[in-house]
Amino acid sequence: MISVENLSIAFGSGPDKLLAVDDISFHLLKGQSLGLVGESGSGKSVTALAIMRLLPPQAILETGKILFNGKDLLRSDSKLVAGLRGNRIAMIFQEPMTALNPVKRCGAQVAETIARHRKSGSKAIRQQVIELFRKVKLPRPEAIFKTYPHQISGGQKQRVMIAMAIANKPDLLIADEPTTALDVTVQKEILDLLNDLKAEYGMSLLFISHDLGVVARVADEVAVMYKGKIVEQGKVKQIFSHPEHPYTKGLMACRPPLGVRLKRLPTIDEFLEGNGKYTQKEQLVNTSERKQHQQEIFLREPILSVDNLLTKYPLKKNLLGKPTQYLHAVDHVSFQVFPGETLGLVGESGCGKTTLGRSILRLIEPDCGTIFFDQKDLLALGQKSMKKERQHLNIVFQDPYSSLNPRMSVGQALMEPLQVFGLHRNNRKAKVLELLEKVGLKAEHFYRYPHEFSGGQRQRIVIARALTLQPKFIICDEAVSALDVSVQARVLNLLNELKEEFGFTYIFISHDLAVVRFMSDRIMVMKDGKIIESGDADEIYLHPQNEYTRQLLAANIAYSVDGRF
Amino acid sequence: MFNYIIRRLLYGILVLWGVTTVVFFLFNILPGDPARMLLGQRADISSVAAIKKDLGLDKPVAVQYLNFLNDLSPLSFHNVKDKNSYWYLNPGKYGNPALQLSFGNTALVLKKPYLRRSYQSKRAVAAIISEAFPKTMLLATTSILLAMLLGILLGIPAALYKDSPLDKFLLVFSSLGMSIPSFFAAILMAWLFAFVLADYTGLQMFGSLYSVDDYTGEVYLNLKNLILPALTLGIRPLAIVVSLTRSSLLDVLSQDYIRTAYAKGLGKFRVVVFHGLRNALNPVLTAITGWFASLMAGAVFVEYVFDWKGIGVVIVDSLEKYDLPVIMGSVLFISVVLILVNIFMDIVYALLDPRVRLG
Repeated sequence: MISVENLSIAFGSGPDKLLAVDDISFHLLKGQSLGLVGESGSGKSVTALAIMRLLPPQAILETGKILFNGKDLLRSDSKLVAGLRGNRIAMIFQEPMTALNPVKRCGAQVAETIARHRKSGSKAIRQQVIELFRKVKLPRPEAIFKTYPHQISGGQKQRVMIAMAIANKPDLLIADEPTTALDVTVQKEILDLLNDLKAEYGMSLLFISHDLGVVARVADEVAVMYKGKIVEQGKVKQIFSHPEHPYTKGLMACRPPLGVRLKRLPTIDEFLEGNGKYTQKEQLVNTSERKQHQQEIFLREPILSVDNLLTKYPLKKNLLGKPTQYLHAVDHVSFQVFPGETLGLVGESGCGKTTLGRSILRLIEPDCGTIFFDQKDLLALGQKSMKKERQHLNIVFQDPYSSLNPRMSVGQALMEPLQVFGLHRNNRKAKVLELLEKVGLKAEHFYRYPHEFSGGQRQRIVIARALTLQPKFIICDEAVSALDVSVQARVLNLLNELKEEFGFTYIFISHDLAVVRFMSDRIMVMKDGKIIESGDADEIYLHPQNEYTRQLLAANIAYSVDGRF
Repeated sequence: MFNYIIRRLLYGILVLWGVTTVVFFLFNILPGDPARMLLGQRADISSVAAIKKDLGLDKPVAVQYLNFLNDLSPLSFHNVKDKNSYWYLNPGKYGNPALQLSFGNTALVLKKPYLRRSYQSKRAVAAIISEAFPKTMLLATTSILLAMLLGILLGIPAALYKDSPLDKFLLVFSSLGMSIPSFFAAILMAWLFAFVLADYTGLQMFGSLYSVDDYTGEVYLNLKNLILPALTLGIRPLAIVVSLTRSSLLDVLSQDYIRTAYAKGLGKFRVVVFHGLRNALNPVLTAITGWFASLMAGAVFVEYVFDWKGIGVVIVDSLEKYDLPVIMGSVLFISVVLILVNIFMDIVYALLDPRVRLG
């Protein structure tokens, strides 16, 4: 069906030349599915775009062929390729939020694909689209036909994307991280849908993901990509049970495991250097030691105690602009955090966990309730005394790409908090250099700008920024969600090491139950603004009481690598 | 949507009241005496006093302000006994009100806003504006339409063929167009096209919408006179629209949904026009709304240079003579127009981009 032969694609030329795809070959038979796994920048998306002939103009094709039914796509007439696109070869993109045109109705966007390749009347096409919407299990297909993308949820948008891709029953479907931006429970539904459609239409599927667990659910074969090369390729079962390449081994080991609790996660670097191990005995957490440590913590006076906190957003406004209806993003939430503990906060997008985190810092003003931090009621403080308190409270944001000012060098960004509070007047730079070293960056990074760093390095900068004032309390709001699994392990280890050294208290917010459990002493599960379950991390993970927690957990386990093989 | 429009209108009235207040106090507190201006060189104390009484300028400023508001507001209170105030005894002033209710000596009246009369010519300000404003409106709309059409048409190829000679030429043109002051551009245009090249273009250096035939004395419509002022006034918005369309389209074309459109197998033309342009035009439209306001200001200079008898000329003339009712009336009228244009543009914006929630 499709075979890629010795494909090499480069960006730039001369000394700046970067081989994004380095001499890769694979083939895919009819009805078969291949999973392409690797971290961001490993060249998997570039490969997919090359098959679609949608590479950005900077990309240079060095060598290779892409044969589709015997024709070389790379050297065919561009009209001919356009005729295949969306027709015989279709693609689903990663971000359903941005991949749909915001000013066109969902139905029209799918109809356009059919109209481009088939000759039929607009009424017939409309019927076809509604039929497709039914097939991808969108609720109320007729109504969705008329909605704009911003009016439906992320999962629904991805279903519209899938409907668009399968509209002309393609022979090859390329799915580029189709579920990465979605909640775990939605992720499961979308993957099941893709599996069903593949079987029904007899399509070939090229599935791209950074997550081995996800690939395991849909692919027959896996190719692991690392730095533009395919380092390992084979049947799913074989690769997962006997990974050969150290990179694959590392990739499998660096997710927090299901059964046991580790002190620190193994990282891919360790595997690449040849001294990585899956589960080291000495890394296992001793349960009784842990219990004792926690008892000690819980006897202390709570550092933060939140009582009956309510934060609401206006939904509807009346004639004079007065809100008449509210969304209770944080709905009368109460809890306590003890010094030295890590409290995990889990929930899916829209459950109010981010609003809760920001309300505690008064980055969003809560509407009622009390927040006692260090015996002081934060909500009763004036501007000045609140500013003083901010020294002790800090936050690490989710997206390291947008939470750093692109026009400030790393040094400036890290010195700014010190300047604001007038601390270390004479040795600010030294202080910052020390911090950079602490988070695993180098002194030479001081004068660099954020765009010169990778996602993981940026998140280290953000963490360093949160540490500059030596706070007692840090909120990590999805601090590792935007990162690759391999980088994720390193950042999680870093957070734990820092906690060990400085004795912080964390609130660790994430949608990923496995990650939260690895980090936390206690866990709170949040849904629709309320906390529906809370308790010891292991207890909740192993014996969830609430139905919703069970669902979350089930979805999590379904994607773990070690649970399946 | 309906709620939104009502709310915007209410805000508009609030803004209008603010403008009224500022304009009123600006001209009544600043030094300068309309009565003296009216009498010129031969002013003596008694005639100045008489005129002041006549115009109501002898009253305290606060009272004058309330009277002014009462005249402007469609709903107003009047003292039945006061000849000057009550419409019925002074029909020339208020015309026929739509409604009147009397409570003893006080009457509540619903009427058309009254903009008073010019101190100088004694003509009704409303009449002066209704004569001059359509000309300014025509000039402004022509130039904005010209700028929009040409600007978008030139902006598209500039974005598609980025860094081509055409793109570079347009870049130079737009930075020139943005920086050239309108009064200078006006003189330059008049000199070049109506003096140096007059034999080829057949245009006059100045003239208004209507001309008087030299022989027959007949007044006739002369649209040719519109060309130069409209071009001059349009240069700056044109430059802005070109560069904005270019950058906005460049930005949109790098978006994910454009890639999706190509992935459907669509051709370049369809992708650019149907998927790109629709999204790229929103910021352009916003800018144009903003420019409409500056255009009114720019019109004052351009009208003056080309002797286009619009509201700009009226304002400048009345400023010279301290003709307060005309100044205030014109400024208020322009404010009303701008508020309406803004509301209209917001609605267009919401229609173009469904994500803009009007609620």
